[in-house]
Amino acid sequence: MPQAGDGERRGTRVASAGNAEQFKQSFREEAREILVDLEAALLELNENREDQELVGRVFRALHTIKGSGAMFGFEGLAVFTHNLENAFDEVRNGRLQVTAELVDLTLAALDQIRAMLEEREGAAETEACAGILAHVRKLTGIAPKPKPAVKAAAAQATIASGSPMRQWAIHFAPGPEFLLNGSNPLLLFAELRQLGGLSVRAAMEMVPPLDEIDAERCYITWEMVLAAALDADAIHDVFIFVEDGCELRIEPIAAAETSTAAMRDAAAQGLEEPRASGGGRRAYDKPETATSLRVPAAKLDQFVDLVGELVTVQARLAELSARRDDPEVAAVAEEIERLTSALRENSMNIRMLPIRATFEKFRRLVHDLARDLGKDVELTMDGADTELDKTVIDQLGDPLMHLIRNSMDHGIEPPAMRRARDKRPTARLHLSARHSGASVLVAVEDDGGGIDAERVRQRAVERGLIGADAQLSEAETFALIFQPGFSTAAEVTDVSGRGVGMDVVRQRVESLRGSIDVESQPGLGTRVTLRLPLTLAIIDGLLVSVEDACFVLPLASTLECIELSARDIEQANGKHVANVRGEVVPYIRLREHFRINAPRPALEQIMVVESGEGRFGFVVDQVLGNCQTVIKSLGRFYRHVQAVSGATILGDGRVALILDPERLVQDAIKAAGPGPRGHPHGAVESSRVRPAARARAH
Amino acid sequence: MGIALEESETGSTVRLDGGIDIGCAAELKTKLVQALAAAGAVAISVEAVTYLDVTAMQLLWAAERKAHQAGTGFGVAGEVPEALRAALAEAGLPPLPVLIPAGC
Repeated sequence: MPQAGDGERRGTRVASAGNAEQFKQSFREEAREILVDLEAALLELNENREDQELVGRVFRALHTIKGSGAMFGFEGLAVFTHNLENAFDEVRNGRLQVTAELVDLTLAALDQIRAMLEEREGAAETEACAGILAHVRKLTGIAPKPKPAVKAAAAQATIASGSPMRQWAIHFAPGPEFLLNGSNPLLLFAELRQLGGLSVRAAMEMVPPLDEIDAERCYITWEMVLAAALDADAIHDVFIFVEDGCELRIEPIAAAETSTAAMRDAAAQGLEEPRASGGGRRAYDKPETATSLRVPAAKLDQFVDLVGELVTVQARLAELSARRDDPEVAAVAEEIERLTSALRENSMNIRMLPIRATFEKFRRLVHDLARDLGKDVELTMDGADTELDKTVIDQLGDPLMHLIRNSMDHGIEPPAMRRARDKRPTARLHLSARHSGASVLVAVEDDGGGIDAERVRQRAVERGLIGADAQLSEAETFALIFQPGFSTAAEVTDVSGRGVGMDVVRQRVESLRGSIDVESQPGLGTRVTLRLPLTLAIIDGLLVSVEDACFVLPLASTLECIELSARDIEQANGKHVANVRGEVVPYIRLREHFRINAPRPALEQIMVVESGEGRFGFVVDQVLGNCQTVIKSLGRFYRHVQAVSGATILGDGRVALILDPERLVQDAIKAAGPGPRGHPHGAVESSRVRPAARARAH
Repeated sequence: MGIALEESETGSTVRLDGGIDIGCAAELKTKLVQALAAAGAVAISVEAVTYLDVTAMQLLWAAERKAHQAGTGFGVAGEVPEALRAALAEAGLPPLPVLIPAGC
């Protein structure tokens, strides 16, 4: 039997456990987004400590997390956040200054809120929370409150804030699913009461006769008047998690500011019935239909998969129609091709997300690292609205983190050293993103000391990565930093020095079919640019054939196609090299690589590609043409076959393997002989060393 | 939670116990309809109620309207817990009607 007092908790329960978890999950996702914004606002606030707008942003975000957290059953989170909200209320009221300590404390609290969202609150977390709350108390002089503030105190605090006091008419009509979704209007009203004085009137006109009532549906609508020193957005925040399907209108009743004293009286005495608001400007209007929709990523993946299947079937239809030579079938096939193409483009666009959220989360990393390393670093960003496939974005976080850590630890000098070098004591770390053809260039740039090429070379010799007498260009030397276990750091710190980070960057970028460019100038800084494909789901390729087998080579890495005649082979004395306008280009014959035992045609084709090892050719029988294909994974059994990045199904039902030129070249080099500077089949010396990183000096 | 319907010669009593929320809304509706279909006044006992959600509030309101239209006595018999009064007030609803025993 439930105890008296736990009514609110019961009210937060939903009709079924499945629903409850679904709505909790929805809250978690939204709360995570709010936390990202909150973190960005806090870090900005640290730079502009007098900015009241930022203080308001932080306060509102905390308030929303608290209110919605309580509604969805995260009561511990709500209470914890409430205490932080109090601290920022003190800041709003001018009783507390924004300090680095407050910002750090709140950032640490955000980490705890994240843990609470995941409901992984162990003893350590509980202790950390208690520590943070004790610290908050020390800063604010307010005892942490176990329960959210009561109406009068909240109204009083609101009034004391000195913001213009207004009366707001709120019309709220829950949608048919409102109660089934686990929402509880009483909790919304309780939250509104924390914002100011509230009067509530339930309108029962819509309640049908008893026999006709759907017992689980809410028919009551509410008219409320709220007196608070807030704008419509802040009131709207209270409804943010429940408004879908509901009717919500928030309108100012009194346009002119009312004196604080008068409003205090109104709040204390209870509020008048709403006046006609015909003359009042509508401050907030909920759009009639939602402008965006939250969809689980898995559903989206399934959708893209189905579109992929459709593309395959459409290709078969096109081929069939070409064979039939029936104008009616051809017309339908063309129309389907047009629609499929539009659908594919659309489905890919749905997956595109701006890189901003990934960039923004590094503000915190830079802030924390700068503090820990005793460095002064300003993070700037450019092109944060550049869009990339969600899968690429998801996998970009780690490499960027390692690059930033590396920059902060090894690249950027301590302020004293920067002064001695006549540089600005505050270092600059710049994140940028921009489109370049079918790729996106994401760069991490610092104005630190640059890469010490000699030190890198020395360390590579010590580790046996290169011979003591190896002649490496500066670019080749920079590429060595991506070797596993490579580090020039004199000591291992918490931040870096184990030589793991850059290897992770290389691996991840390779798995994304990308490449890395390093530019560095001693004393001036380093720029690492990641070149990544826009999407991983579709590849623009060239379809080539060797006997009956078809292969797809990524168009992005293909430079040109030239003929290979018997005379060319003879002139090269049997070596696998071709003369491309005076440049000697080594090649790999796919027929040999894939052991296709059939006689060679008299005239073959060389597809010249740009790889991390330089220019290479792939010899095929025929180039069949351009193709844009949906990549299908080969599955677990073939996961070790690295030279093939996937497969696609052709219009005639055949399977074409999608080749990874980078891996093919590396395999060929490895097969040709030991050492990083081996050459395939006695071809010319490679101009690059592993890893697949292109490096050049400014 | 618990919802029980007790019928006697003079009328019916719908006895509510614990938290009455959306999980038992359908049952509450059935019991109220049965009570109103039976002869005599309908008493609602809420003494043991710890929580009443919006679904229950609107069902009681609709039942009271139906009883009023039919000229049947309807209302709360016994004490109304303070938490319940507060919840109704917070939801902007009027207090539950008190059943006036026949003969008063």
